[in-house]
Amino acid sequence: MNPPEFEYVAPKTVQEAVDLLKVRGEWAKVLAGGQSLIPLLKLRLASPALLVDIGKVPGLDYLAESDGHLRMGAMVRVADLNRSALLKKKYPAIHDASGVIADPLVRNLGTVGGNISHGDPANDLPAVMLASEGEMAATGSGGNRVIKAEDFFTDTFTTALAHDEILTEVRVPVPLPRSGGAYLKVEQKVGDFASAGVAVQLSVDRASMCTKVGIGLTAVGPTAVKAKKAEEAMLGKQVTDRVAVAEAAALAADAATPTSDIRGTAEYKKRLVRLLVARGLKRASERAGGKE
Amino acid sequence: MAGKIHISLTVNGKEREANVQPRRLLVHLLREDLGLTGTHVGCDTTHCGACTVMLNGKAVKSCTVLAVQADGAEVLTVEGLAEGEELSAVQRAFIAKHGLQCGYCTPGMLIAAHALLQNNPDPTDEEIRDGISGNLCRCTGYTKIIDSVRYAAKIKNAHK
Amino acid sequence: MAVEIDSEDPERFFVRGKGRYVDDIKLEGMLHLHVVRSPYARARVISVSGGITGNELRASMEAVGEDAGGEENTSVSFPVLATETVNYVGQPVAAVLGDDRYEAEDRADEVDVQYEPLTPVMDPERSLESGPIHRQMKDNLVAESVLGKDFKANAPIELEDTLRMARMSPNPLEPRGLVAAYDGSMLTVYASTQSVFSWREGLAGSLGMPEDKIRVVQMDTGGAFGSKGGIYPEYVVAAHAAMKTKRPVKWIENRYEHLMTTDQGRGVRAKMKVYAERNGKVKGLKADLLIDAGAYPVGGGGWVASWISSQLIGPYYIPKAYATSRAVLTNKVNLGPYRGAGRPEAAFFMERMMDKVADETGLDQAEVRMRNTTTKGWTTPLGRKTPPSKPFFNEALRAFKYSSRKKKEKLGLSLFVLVPASSGGESAKVAVKGGRVKVWMGGNSHGQGHGLFAKMLASKELGVPENLIDFQHTDTSALSSGVGSWGSRTAMLGGGAVVEASRKLKAAAKKKLGKRYSKARLLEGEYEAEAFFKPKDFLNSLGANMASARITKVGMGTIDEVVSYYDVGTPLTPYMVESQIEGGTAQGLGEVMYEQVLYSEDGQLLTPSIADAGLIHSTEMPKVVAMTGTHRSSLKHGAKGLGESPTIGVPPAATRALEVALGRRFSYLPIEQEKLWAVELPKE
Repeated sequence: MNPPEFEYVAPKTVQEAVDLLKVRGEWAKVLAGGQSLIPLLKLRLASPALLVDIGKVPGLDYLAESDGHLRMGAMVRVADLNRSALLKKKYPAIHDASGVIADPLVRNLGTVGGNISHGDPANDLPAVMLASEGEMAATGSGGNRVIKAEDFFTDTFTTALAHDEILTEVRVPVPLPRSGGAYLKVEQKVGDFASAGVAVQLSVDRASMCTKVGIGLTAVGPTAVKAKKAEEAMLGKQVTDRVAVAEAAALAADAATPTSDIRGTAEYKKRLVRLLVARGLKRASERAGGKE
Repeated sequence: MAGKIHISLTVNGKEREANVQPRRLLVHLLREDLGLTGTHVGCDTTHCGACTVMLNGKAVKSCTVLAVQADGAEVLTVEGLAEGEELSAVQRAFIAKHGLQCGYCTPGMLIAAHALLQNNPDPTDEEIRDGISGNLCRCTGYTKIIDSVRYAAKIKNAHK
Repeated sequence: MAVEIDSEDPERFFVRGKGRYVDDIKLEGMLHLHVVRSPYARARVISVSGGITGNELRASMEAVGEDAGGEENTSVSFPVLATETVNYVGQPVAAVLGDDRYEAEDRADEVDVQYEPLTPVMDPERSLESGPIHRQMKDNLVAESVLGKDFKANAPIELEDTLRMARMSPNPLEPRGLVAAYDGSMLTVYASTQSVFSWREGLAGSLGMPEDKIRVVQMDTGGAFGSKGGIYPEYVVAAHAAMKTKRPVKWIENRYEHLMTTDQGRGVRAKMKVYAERNGKVKGLKADLLIDAGAYPVGGGGWVASWISSQLIGPYYIPKAYATSRAVLTNKVNLGPYRGAGRPEAAFFMERMMDKVADETGLDQAEVRMRNTTTKGWTTPLGRKTPPSKPFFNEALRAFKYSSRKKKEKLGLSLFVLVPASSGGESAKVAVKGGRVKVWMGGNSHGQGHGLFAKMLASKELGVPENLIDFQHTDTSALSSGVGSWGSRTAMLGGGAVVEASRKLKAAAKKKLGKRYSKARLLEGEYEAEAFFKPKDFLNSLGANMASARITKVGMGTIDEVVSYYDVGTPLTPYMVESQIEGGTAQGLGEVMYEQVLYSEDGQLLTPSIADAGLIHSTEMPKVVAMTGTHRSSLKHGAKGLGESPTIGVPPAATRALEVALGRRFSYLPIEQEKLWAVELPKE
């Protein structure tokens, strides 16, 4: 349970970091908060030749709205998300998730960028990004690009980032008036990975009709899952429409491909998704209506 | 073979320097290179919190931080809680309310409690439970630890 | 090269980070040992080269400590380092040394092992029909026990159930470990242990050394729960390496190793059948137990079968009983003691059946139990002496305020007998020198703070204030003999030995000083007395638990409160009694809702981290109300056993409370998350 040998560099700029990644190729790995990577190193499941620590790059820990987006620098700590009054008020799905990721001590070091770019289907923020039209801004040797959340999570522990690309910013659009979100997670105990988790982000019109619906699922597939059919089923429907909600919940469960493990059977997890989608829609719509 | 890296950091108020392999974990720097064996290793997988220290004012698990990441940082370990012979409020409270048995989780619990009270001087029981939820104890069932943290808040607030 | 251990008040010491645990030891020239382990649950070892291997260290393990004394099957030995076959994931095959722990781990690459994987036997239910794991055995049966007499039943109610308790890992927060040092003649071992004497015996046996050439010194020990009483292959390898290299060698277990290779507890299936009258009186009990003994016929497998079944009747009067049990081999780490070690199994199986009788007859759960209690002590058909349980259960129900609380709450109850490990006795030594008193016990605290009562008892006997008494870690060089701390025995036996040694010392001082004897003169002199205390009476005691369940906002059943009422005799240090109950309650609840060790069909560990193993956090811990009945024991200091009571009484009470709250029967522990939902989950 001690890491293998590697070299370590802590560049001062993103460009410097990208250059190192380009030169060293696949054998170099980005280190952010370390809360996922260091455990892998200790298990010797990862053995990079070089760690490029972006923790000493200044200016990657901003958290603010600008140009129609909430922008989160990749090095923002999960604990800082949880402390943000802005998130609690306007981005409750992110706020919810930031309170159930690992435990309070891990959240002090774990970063937004790490939680997302690790590509772990059991991490909590990917589903929130899928539900919230999230985008990932990356810098690589070929320059900058923006990747939509739905294109980002390509496989288990695999993302759309090239080996010489660094995730620098995670962003979601500023929600319309009458929007709300929620993240619900069922876990055995504090700090555990989800048996299943569901993120919902929606907007309603004056008649409480859904004008925008996003649903993301945690820990029920090879990647976080965007439940597109479920989202579509809710469009134009009221969240009080029990038939529509049940249908959306069933469609979301259809999109889930969980495996049986110590947390429960695949069938149980699908049923959990149905329950959580229905509850998530309700909570998000209450919040859209100004409750809580 | 990766070369060693020179780092300097402040540990319990003292400037310390070391040459470390990049792979060396902060907990081993503290325990083995600096002789501060109060910080323990319990689970190796960032769960149990026996290795909790303050890093730049925040409680973190030092088994999941590389020593090189702590270059330039300020670290507080259990050995730095007391001022000389004078025990800190959390230390006194853990003795008064018997918030320990085998003592192995204790340093991490003390640091987690210290951090909690720094951010939230008057926590509810639920906030205490949440504040120490990254720290496992196998002996006490937490009851007396929670009592101890509540009592520490009381001692601290009485001195304001 | 001595290791200094301070004897300051441990609480003050621990809060400063000044505890002295084995991993804190740093000796000149010390090497770190890393063990290379089998990645397979079962395989033939074709070749092994590099590092220290079983070709060099031809030694096998002995059952010592709590595990000793079972019906040993001597046809197969448990090798220190495997050379022919490996039989569980993580089994030691070779060991390497490095100047630090990182380098030692790197050197694992220098070891080359060729395996031919074999199909493992994982399911104990299929173990007996599978071919033998060890070619020296004709089948996989380790031990078989038949207690009581078979009978023909003629009762209006016949109820049966199959009950199961998962395998669990002890998981003390401090893992196992040691430092071994050799000076050319004497091997000194610094240990995280429940028994320095068992370690000495085991090391001497495995290494073929005389016991007087081995000294075992206990360090501060960060919990054990059964895992540190016996010895393990790594200890033998580290001792061997220290003697070979003439350098101190440290080995510290990591958590993954703990979960793979430290003996696990529970792992029992019971088929229970009770015969009862309509009035709830149980007339007969039949039981068939199957115990998952793990890979080698040493350790727990040998004694657990008869030990559990002998306790099945618990505190009740059941005139007819017949219990068969078998312990069988599987390709898992050996079965060993975990807090309770057989007692929780017996209580869970019986109490689950009592609740079934209540449900069948429509009687209240307390009433059914009451009707089956006794007013006289007796010996059960399964051979256990049992104290009268009716008066105690009445006391407990009153203390619980059961009859008023049951109107509003979802409650579960349990009633049990704690059979402590009181045979074998225990030693203590008391010495006066330089105006201070030192106290040693043969079986020592491994985190419970036994020093507090040891000091209190010595203080009372000698009339010396506690601040002049130092409690010492156990060291084989300090006492002439000793046993160990497990099985809820130390307050009774170690405590009893402290009382006897103190009285001996006082008598010697009085004899020497005659009429001039005073406390002050006692402290001016130099005296030493050692005693070995063996109680004459049986020391079983009674306990009861009540648990209250509720449904969370999320919609799942959870335990809200656990109340205990245990007869602890004269409580020696009341807050420690509370602490033991609170901590044991956390383990009991963990067992009900979260804790287990799981393997895949091919024998890989599915629960490789402490989080997967299911330890409870502060956030999951309910309110605990610890009450004690105080009926002095026959011992001079009046103590009774306690340490294991909560792991015996809490699981059945909490399981029942959840059952009442959720309206569905639970027969397996831990209860799956899926079954804890109070709301109907949508179905396909």
